[in-house]
Amino acid sequence: MNDGGTNETRALHGHAAVWQTRLILLVMINVAQLWILSATVEAALARHYRVLLPLVISSAVCWLITLSIIFWWKPVSRRFTSTGYIRNKPE
Amino acid sequence: MSSENSKLANTIREVLSEPVSDEGDVRAATRPHQHDFPYDRGEEAQVTRREFCNFLAVTSTALFVSAAGFAGKAALDRTGVEQFTPAKIEGAAALAPGSSLNFRYPTEKDTAILIRADDGQYFAYGQKCTHLSCPVYFEREPGRLECPCHEGGFDARTGNVLYGPPPRPLDSIELEVREGGEVWALGRKAGGDEHSV
Repeated sequence: MNDGGTNETRALHGHAAVWQTRLILLVMINVAQLWILSATVEAALARHYRVLLPLVISSAVCWLITLSIIFWWKPVSRRFTSTGYIRNKPE
Repeated sequence: MSSENSKLANTIREVLSEPVSDEGDVRAATRPHQHDFPYDRGEEAQVTRREFCNFLAVTSTALFVSAAGFAGKAALDRTGVEQFTPAKIEGAAALAPGSSLNFRYPTEKDTAILIRADDGQYFAYGQKCTHLSCPVYFEREPGRLECPCHEGGFDARTGNVLYGPPPRPLDSIELEVREGGEVWALGRKAGGDEHSV
């Protein structure tokens, strides 16, 4: 059995899964923000001033989550963990 | 130097001698230069996950900025105090009871509607429906203003919403009846300044 090959495949699958998850999360956040924008426009036209600030804050939170996904929530190296531990040290 | 020039001239001649008419020809034309400028049209047309993620991040930023912009504009409009110049509404004195007249106030861009009720009283409102800005018209029989776009209805005496999707009353125009029956518009106020939800 080729452990290196299995680990390689598993790592690739994990890497792809993380990317896929990031993508799905970002799409969901975009859809939510689109809804928030339409609600903001409607509230502005209707002069519902009380809901404007909460809507903008919600959009800002969504945006911050997006930034956190883009800048921090990334797939890590398949060999190095965040503490520097090498899982599968090459011979 | 001269060899480089002749090489360049040859290349230009080669390219010009093969007319490029469709995708296949483009690929054929670029093939000799792939070594110097490696470029795969098919690959370039693909969008990677990374690029799509970045696009979504930019979209998210744009959506946030738009929401903040709309809210900011609404807040500014709320705090701003507008000065109005009184203006005579031409033809208002001759308006028969139970009929309406279109005019513009305070600027030429702001359409408005003047209504003379059956009892002779005047009422004036901004003509834009508060739903999606379609022009409202006066329907004498039920005595109300109606929006033809999405079937919204407003009370002709108060401007309040009677039915339909409009979220707030029509903008109201303050009127004054002067000597000789002249009707003057004095100011315009947004309907439903604060609408609780």
